Amino acid sequence: MPDKPIPEQDPITSKSYAAHYLIATVILIITLFWALWDEAWGQRPWKAFQEQFKTRYSAFLNTARAKSHDSEKDVQKDPEYAGLSAAVKKATEDSAAAAKAARNNLKDANDRLQAVQSVFIDRRAYVNALTYELETSESASAKASKQKEIDKYKSEEATVEFPDGSKKKFNFEELEKTYNAIRDERTKLSLDLGDVLKPVTEAQAKLDEYVTDHMVDLTPAQIDGLKRKVSDWDPTIVQINVAEANIVDRCESCHMGAREPLKITPAALTSKGEKKPDEYANAFVSHPEPELLKIHDPDKFGCSPCHQGNGRATTSIEKAHGNYEHWLWPLFPKENSQAGCQTCHSADMVLVSGDVQFQTINSGKEIFRRRGCNGCHRYEGYDREPEDLNSVGQQIKQIETQKKDNIKQTAYLMKQADAAESNDEANKLNGQAIDLRVANSKLDGRLQQLDFQSHSLMQDMKKIGPNLKDVRLKLNKNWIPVWLKKPTDFRPTTKMPNFRLTDHQIQAISAYIWQTGFTDPLPKRKPGNAAHGKELFESRGCLACHSIGEGDQMMGGTFAANLTRVGEKANYDYLVRWIHNARERTRPYCPYEKKDIGPEDYAKKNLPYQWDLAHSKCPNDGHELQVQNMTVMPSLRLSPEDAEDIATYLISQKKQEPSSYANASFMDDPSLKEEGKKWVRFYGCGGCHEISGMEDEGRIGTELTFEGSKPIERLDFALSTEPAQRGGKDSEPIKDKEDLARLPDGPAEKPWYDHKGFFEHKLAEPNVFDQGMAEYKSETERLRMPNVHLTKEEVLDLTTFLMGSQETSLPASYQYKPGDARHDIQEGWWVVVKYDCMACHQIIPGQSTILMRLPQYQDAQEQLPPKLLTEGARVDPEWLRKFLSNPSLNTTDTNRNGVRPYLKVRMPTFSFSDNELRKLVRFFQALSQQPLPYIPEQVPTLTAKETDMARSLFSSTAAPCLKCHATGDPAHDKIATAPNFLLAKERLKPDWVERWITDPQAVSPGTSMPSGLFKQQNNQWVFAGPTPPTFNGYDGDHRKLLTDYIFQLTPEEQRRVAASMPRAAAAVQRPTDRKRAAVESHHTAGGGSR
Amino acid sequence: MDWRQLWEICSAPDNVPIVGLIPLLAFYIYLAWKQAHANDILIEQLEADPAMAKTHHRKTWPFKPGWAKEVHVWPFLLRIEFLAAIIVTIILMVWSITLNAPLEEPANPNLTMNPAKAPWYFLGLQEMLVYFDPWIAGVVMPTMIIIGLMVIPYIDTNPLGSGYYTWKQRRFSIGTFLFGFIILWVAMIIIGTFIRGPGWQWFWPGQTWDHNRLIYEVNRDLPDIFGIASNLGKGIFGAIIVGGYYLLGGGLVYSLFRRRMGKDFQRMSLLQFSIMQFLLLTMVALPLKMALRLLWHIKYVWITPWFNI
Repeated sequence: MPDKPIPEQDPITSKSYAAHYLIATVILIITLFWALWDEAWGQRPWKAFQEQFKTRYSAFLNTARAKSHDSEKDVQKDPEYAGLSAAVKKATEDSAAAAKAARNNLKDANDRLQAVQSVFIDRRAYVNALTYELETSESASAKASKQKEIDKYKSEEATVEFPDGSKKKFNFEELEKTYNAIRDERTKLSLDLGDVLKPVTEAQAKLDEYVTDHMVDLTPAQIDGLKRKVSDWDPTIVQINVAEANIVDRCESCHMGAREPLKITPAALTSKGEKKPDEYANAFVSHPEPELLKIHDPDKFGCSPCHQGNGRATTSIEKAHGNYEHWLWPLFPKENSQAGCQTCHSADMVLVSGDVQFQTINSGKEIFRRRGCNGCHRYEGYDREPEDLNSVGQQIKQIETQKKDNIKQTAYLMKQADAAESNDEANKLNGQAIDLRVANSKLDGRLQQLDFQSHSLMQDMKKIGPNLKDVRLKLNKNWIPVWLKKPTDFRPTTKMPNFRLTDHQIQAISAYIWQTGFTDPLPKRKPGNAAHGKELFESRGCLACHSIGEGDQMMGGTFAANLTRVGEKANYDYLVRWIHNARERTRPYCPYEKKDIGPEDYAKKNLPYQWDLAHSKCPNDGHELQVQNMTVMPSLRLSPEDAEDIATYLISQKKQEPSSYANASFMDDPSLKEEGKKWVRFYGCGGCHEISGMEDEGRIGTELTFEGSKPIERLDFALSTEPAQRGGKDSEPIKDKEDLARLPDGPAEKPWYDHKGFFEHKLAEPNVFDQGMAEYKSETERLRMPNVHLTKEEVLDLTTFLMGSQETSLPASYQYKPGDARHDIQEGWWVVVKYDCMACHQIIPGQSTILMRLPQYQDAQEQLPPKLLTEGARVDPEWLRKFLSNPSLNTTDTNRNGVRPYLKVRMPTFSFSDNELRKLVRFFQALSQQPLPYIPEQVPTLTAKETDMARSLFSSTAAPCLKCHATGDPAHDKIATAPNFLLAKERLKPDWVERWITDPQAVSPGTSMPSGLFKQQNNQWVFAGPTPPTFNGYDGDHRKLLTDYIFQLTPEEQRRVAASMPRAAAAVQRPTDRKRAAVESHHTAGGGSR
Repeated sequence: MDWRQLWEICSAPDNVPIVGLIPLLAFYIYLAWKQAHANDILIEQLEADPAMAKTHHRKTWPFKPGWAKEVHVWPFLLRIEFLAAIIVTIILMVWSITLNAPLEEPANPNLTMNPAKAPWYFLGLQEMLVYFDPWIAGVVMPTMIIIGLMVIPYIDTNPLGSGYYTWKQRRFSIGTFLFGFIILWVAMIIIGTFIRGPGWQWFWPGQTWDHNRLIYEVNRDLPDIFGIASNLGKGIFGAIIVGGYYLLGGGLVYSLFRRRMGKDFQRMSLLQFSIMQFLLLTMVALPLKMALRLLWHIKYVWITPWFNI
């Protein structure tokens, strides 16, 4: 440049680049090392995890070993151990000499074999190679020369130097013989040694088994094994590879403790001096549910099918957990981890493993149904009846067409046969015609089955909300608009969601519903006794499903409505009918004609206006009618008076007078009706309620079966998209305080642009994604989903359920769709949950029922409904079917419990369809692993003497059976606490009865039936109390004797025994019995026998 | 101004080359320009002095007696190139260690990404798809670019400017290059990277890429504006317009080139000149078409059953 002085030397030739090269090279070398480090460790963070695991786990094992050593010492103190250990010692001493000799012989044989073998295998290899050449030679001359060579080689002698120093020469054949002979000798000698040591090995095995059985934790030897495994560990990727399911999971490369046999907690693996477990300690914990891993063997299932995440990734925690933008299946967060269950277990309603219930997902599944989500949203498996009914209808149509075709074809064939030229041909055609007729008869059978099926399905079809065709008969007219405005204002716990309706919409909707309601007259009822009604309400079991009282005062179940203010809305006459039999309909509905059938339709055909489950054919077209209210509310078989009493009590439940509601005369305005219809349809009211003209409305919501695997782009975050992606304090769109409180994790701070965030926000405030837009949209464009007013926990449960609702890429065999008895269990749970059986009965060990928690049962445990833990093993399935269809076990006197007349709480009549009866019976049988069909065990007939002996046990003072068991005598039955023995023969399974009378606490913890009636003696169960002299010399099983007696008990015999027993004393004694039983049950539970 | 959005685009591993490209391009243009400017002054001085002009061959430094007239490639050129190779190796290694390949989710044919973008070096081609139909933008134009680059040595008849930076001696070639590479190629890549968001909509830098954004835009074909309905009419109309463009444009190039680049013009044969003229007009057609589309919402000019322009 002009300013710069021109250098003397040409810069191009004279300038040195040494410094440039030096710097560049140094940087290049540094970069090279960086690249090497990155390759070895930077991209393999699991190596650091494994190093940490080695050090920490070894330290942990050392402490564990010390503890285990101590407890081993405790075990060794036991005399039994000393005995076993002495036995080992003795056996060792006894066999010492023989063992030594045998070992020496074996060693000698081994050495000789070594000597021969080294020579032999070398020569054999040479022979084999020559033989190969011989076999592959082409010409005969070459073969001959090779053969010669082999023979020559074989005849050459080789020297073997034996260990004792002697040398011997062998040709090939001799060598082979010698080799085989020594081998045989060695085998024999090692067997000999085994025989000599056998007593020692056996004694040692017994000793080891004793230690393993008596140690709660691992034995020191087992821990030593683990220690060796850890110290020998070389860092390597731990991989589960299941080719058939395309699972490659490397999770255990970091989560090394997941399957260790010791229970590892984060605290146990926190390095010394640190207060909180760091990310390493948290990564090394054992799997929290080892039992689950037993069912789902990780070697077959891997990790990611349940937990999701990117199983192949190993470069960083985020990548491996799939928590990055481009991975479609990120790890389920801890609180939603049960979502993983749903991906394969969508056919299960209740997930139980032993006594572990999977609360989150179970309650998610249940809420989905209980809150009527399936009224708007289809979900595979939920509410299948309408769809099944549809398909049954189509099948019927198809078969009918086929039948008609067959008849036509038959006629055609017959005609052809008449005109046939030969006899043979005529016979053939006639034969075909006959075959078709047989086919038609088969089709008739199938048709009948389909008819039964549709009858059952009509019965099974339920709606989550009440039948609104009955509004005029049932409701206080002026209350309806107030209710629609915001249902939670009237009843905070209602299932009816808040629809954000405008006043005009409310008017139109209530007008439509009112004007389409039935106007049939209801029989007038006289007022009853409210005090008696209250008593019945609290004791008959209403509170298992219904609740009463608000806020802290609330008592009872949440399955059905809270009745605190029912007096403000309900009509007394209707309430009586409802309580007496909720299934009673005002008019039957014909789905074929799509209309409600009235007396006029029956009159047209000159038929009596009579319709019930037995008369369910439409008078107009013969199709199945809906003859029941589609409610799950059962009949408690109350007398009409009792129903009146309860209704009187309920109608008195109110906070304000029904007359104080503002007059809603607009409901009679016919001009509102059409608009009302539009809104009723728009909001999908027909999904949950039966409404005139809305019976065939489809679901208005989106299908949710695979909602969890919907691409995130298809979830409409609307204007919240950007804030949700960015997170931060102002990314929370929900402003309403009540709705904010529904978010499981509180207001959003982190980015929430994922399925979890969407579901949680949508459930907390369903119109949240309308924010900023709703005010510019017309009424019909706004988001319709109502606010279901869920709690935080419910939102979490439902979110988990939806997150797991995925279309999985796993092969079908991974889906839990068993074809055996387990399928019956799956099907049964749906029915059990549908009718809320678990509000009264304990079906899962440890499960608490609603009734158990009620104050009135705290001191009267024996008044609780029976536990059904082993119901399938207990009862005859055929009896169970009868009982379920009529729990009173009586056709005339139905106002009672059939089995336990002494219980105030009533087993209701659910009027199950054949379909559901079948499912329930199979369910209980399958749950107790009972085979179907049940073939009753033959109970031997007792001789007169045996009967006498059994009777003496039956009525002995140590076990006065009839003191507690009902006898059919009304005076006694009032204080009885157990069923009548006369039912046993038909009801119970004998082997169960034997188990039951041996240890009732193990079958039904907390039962008032005493334990310890029998004790074991010489492999027989004998009566624990004093036995009369007749038993002298009897060596049979007392327990069996008593069971056989019970199964042969006749009413006369029972009366005789009862008459001979002092009864009054029993009643006085009861409370102490009860207390004892409670204590025992406590012990049993604590002992962990179940 | 949405800084987060801007940062997200700039920091995506996909886009780092382009973020690097912009300052580098500016720097090298500046460097070349500075040297060219210095050389131009030098050339002026040298040409004023015939003695110097005869002997002087290296245009970057004033000639000094004692300096070699020519220097060998090895080691004087190669040692610098090798140093550059080392530095590039370092850059590539550091780059590959720190930035992983931007792999995405398993492909799902039912759900394509939005915006779906080509690799950065193809974004110019992808952007061209907005203005022409796929056959033209995807096949014809790239072929013409390659052919055009191939014919440069045959139509460049200017013997000057070899081995040193200069502007005055090669105004036309450098101008064309700057226009074709910087304005068209690089600018289109930048548009594709920074400007085109979801739905391939136009977002100014710093504007949030809102997936729900709605815009109203109606594009029409030029023949429709003139009310030409028949296909034949459209074909003829378009052919006239396009032909007219080449004809009038050709005349303009001819008169300008002859006047301004007289020396070059004289050195060129008719074939060389007409090829150059055709390629130049085709190149210029691209920004013209872009302007028609972006400013006047004209989709196609020439519509035929086989291709649209």
